[in-house]
Amino acid sequence: MRYFLPLINILIFLLLAPLFEGLLRKLTARIQSRQGPPLVQPYYDLFKLLGKESLNSAGTWPFRLAPLLAFAAILVVVAAVPFGFRMNALAGRMDGILVVYLLTLGGVAVLMGALAGRNTFGMIGASREMVTMIMVEPVLAMTLVLGAVKLKTLTLAAAMPSAAGAGFGLSSVLMLAVYLLALQAFVARQPFDIAEAEVELLEGPMIEYSGPNLALFKYAAMMKRMFYAWLFVSAFVPVLRTGIYPLDLVLQLLAMVVLFAGIGLVGATNPRLRIDQAVRYYAVLIVWALAAVGLAVKGW
Amino acid sequence: MTQETLLCTLQAEFGAALAGPDPAAPKRLLVDIDRARLPEIARRLIAEGGRYQVGVGTDDRARGAGFGIIHLFAFDRDGFAVAVCSSAPAEAPEFPSITPDIPAAGWTEREYRDLLGFRFPGHPKPKKLILADDWPDGIYPLRKDVPYNLVPPSAEDVAYELDEAPPGTTTVPVGPFHTSLHEPAHFAVYVDGETIKGCDYRGFMTHRGIEKLCQTQVSYNEIPFVAERICGICGSVHATAYAQAVEEAAGLPVPRRAEFIRVLMLELERIHSHLLWLGVAGHLIGFDTIFMHAWRVREPVMWLSERITGNRKTYGMVVLGGVRRDISPETAADIRSVLKTVETEVLGLKAAVLKDSSIHKRTKGVGHMPKAEAVLWGLLGPVARARGIDIDARRDHPYAAYDELAFDVPTADSCDVWGTVLVRLLEVFESVKIMRQALDKMPAGPILAEPLEALPAYRHGLSMVEAPRGESVHYVITGEENRPERWRVRAPTYNNLQGVPRMLLDNQFADFPIIVGSIDPCFSCTDRAVVVEQGTGRRRVLGRPELTALSRAGRM
Repeated sequence: MRYFLPLINILIFLLLAPLFEGLLRKLTARIQSRQGPPLVQPYYDLFKLLGKESLNSAGTWPFRLAPLLAFAAILVVVAAVPFGFRMNALAGRMDGILVVYLLTLGGVAVLMGALAGRNTFGMIGASREMVTMIMVEPVLAMTLVLGAVKLKTLTLAAAMPSAAGAGFGLSSVLMLAVYLLALQAFVARQPFDIAEAEVELLEGPMIEYSGPNLALFKYAAMMKRMFYAWLFVSAFVPVLRTGIYPLDLVLQLLAMVVLFAGIGLVGATNPRLRIDQAVRYYAVLIVWALAAVGLAVKGW
Repeated sequence: MTQETLLCTLQAEFGAALAGPDPAAPKRLLVDIDRARLPEIARRLIAEGGRYQVGVGTDDRARGAGFGIIHLFAFDRDGFAVAVCSSAPAEAPEFPSITPDIPAAGWTEREYRDLLGFRFPGHPKPKKLILADDWPDGIYPLRKDVPYNLVPPSAEDVAYELDEAPPGTTTVPVGPFHTSLHEPAHFAVYVDGETIKGCDYRGFMTHRGIEKLCQTQVSYNEIPFVAERICGICGSVHATAYAQAVEEAAGLPVPRRAEFIRVLMLELERIHSHLLWLGVAGHLIGFDTIFMHAWRVREPVMWLSERITGNRKTYGMVVLGGVRRDISPETAADIRSVLKTVETEVLGLKAAVLKDSSIHKRTKGVGHMPKAEAVLWGLLGPVARARGIDIDARRDHPYAAYDELAFDVPTADSCDVWGTVLVRLLEVFESVKIMRQALDKMPAGPILAEPLEALPAYRHGLSMVEAPRGESVHYVITGEENRPERWRVRAPTYNNLQGVPRMLLDNQFADFPIIVGSIDPCFSCTDRAVVVEQGTGRRRVLGRPELTALSRAGRM
């Protein structure tokens, strides 16, 4: 069973990530008094893109490699995580630091693609993406470190759901708040969809991509969104833990739906911030995340 | 000050150089000046409190008078306008540039450099403005001897030379096609990191020569319908402005009821335009929820227009001497009920926008331009009023029935995009107020004047109409063949756009869309173009229920 769990994880993520995206779009549409696209529209979009001719518009290998790298990185992450609080064969061989590295690798792949594309708008988008990465990644790392501090181990199985598992102290509450405030930036939705700001940068880092390559980037982004939602549910919502694997799975997914509704709501009721305004916001988050880890070290 | 006292001042100072003082109409003053003294008189008029509007270049060679240029100045506090004419011999069309003193005149002079072959010694940026980059030298399309349908062969490998980028900056090409622009135009934005250090504008890509077309092919009575197509938003504005200019030149009286109906159409247009803009502004700062709701509120206004005129936009209401359709008592009741709905909904929108701290973050201090500079650049409409310049053609130079209607002119002193948002939101309520008064006070009577046999030739008419974006100026010199000898259109974007590079300076690149968007640029007004879209042949008519069902699944 432990050896099948990574596959099950991958299947769940691949199948459901576009649905969560569809949920976001539908919800946004309802807030805006529109009917909106059908829930399954993101599947259609992906199929359409995957069926197109694969163009290498920059003509270089890093440009072709970038989407594959982004997609592969997120696949490995979701394969390893203990979805439904169930340890799998991969999780034992990875730790929190590796997960942070892999997620960063996904971001670096986006940068690489944008730089290889040599488009002015892509470059500006890439620089904004880089700033966002540098500023929000620490919050993610601190979330994992918090668990590690509490359980005195960095292994994935312990680190991720542990913040809750090891008792819900003051540090967990603080971290939970910080994580929620950073969530919109993790999933790159308004007010933090700054890197691809459609009206000024025309999708920014993705501007030169089309067809299957674009589909891979988009798919990877959807799975990343789902991962961040799962991480929150897994780390900060302890009551959902029943011990029965299928039930845990369903409960976690339902909690993620609720979280996605929140993401949609915040996204639809905020304008996009400028990168300089966002950086000031992120800086405050980093300080609070550090404070949370400090509290955990003190045993609070 | 009245135009008589101003004339005395000018005569005392310029003496023999000043000729032909001609009160063309009440509140208008026409003077001739020796061209060498143009900059002097321009400076003098500005010092007296004049505001530069636009220049009109003319080709009078057929009448043995060489070329001419007419600079228009408005005295807003005193409610009159001055036209300063000067002429140059046909072989040497040269006028000293007034741009060094009045930056707002920059485009006018560049325009006539392109279209009439004038030279303006002293102009700081004598570059192509209107003509395509591959247009051959020596053909000046607005000259009378150039046929209106001339198409010179296109050339390869010619491109506009952008201004030199400031050192240490990279150039971001925004345009000719870009999502934050809804029409073709090219802004070369020079950025240092994300900070804008300069900007060069190259537009006029859709210039179709409406002025030339109407001066050669179309008759007086047909022009209102062409004028209406200058802009997709302010159709009635241009039609009314043109009609008023001809009516002033020819001395054609308009029935009072028609003037009230014109006011109703103009204000209806303002409400829909402000809501449209609010939506677009929301979209430009990445806030699509505002966009969707502003446009939802705007919808009933469009349907109301259809019930009044048969069209959601481009109403075709205004003709010389009046309007084409009357307002029945049932329609009046309909208008009142729609106004009530719109007023309630906009109150909600206003509360939502004014209290949103994120919107404050994205608009306060953005596109800042102090009042003094805004005056210098001749900014108009909400863009000027947001910078504390209290001008409004409806109040300062009353036309149609505005002299009988009471309303406020909202202003702000924040000098930024936020001020523009505020002014435009508040203006919606003023428009509602004006429309209600107009419905109350509208007299009975005819809606169209008896047509004149022939309009007198070579008479000048100037008309100013406050469009939602600012004052539109139309200048007409009547002609002989049942069409104008010269018709000059100046939409508000023509002025506001010239000030945009200054507004962009030292802002973040992310603010570019909203700063350009804040003037509500209408490139087609500026380019004076018409785009006709041809369908594929297959047609399906969607009425209101079908459209609503498609977009909202039956919700309102």
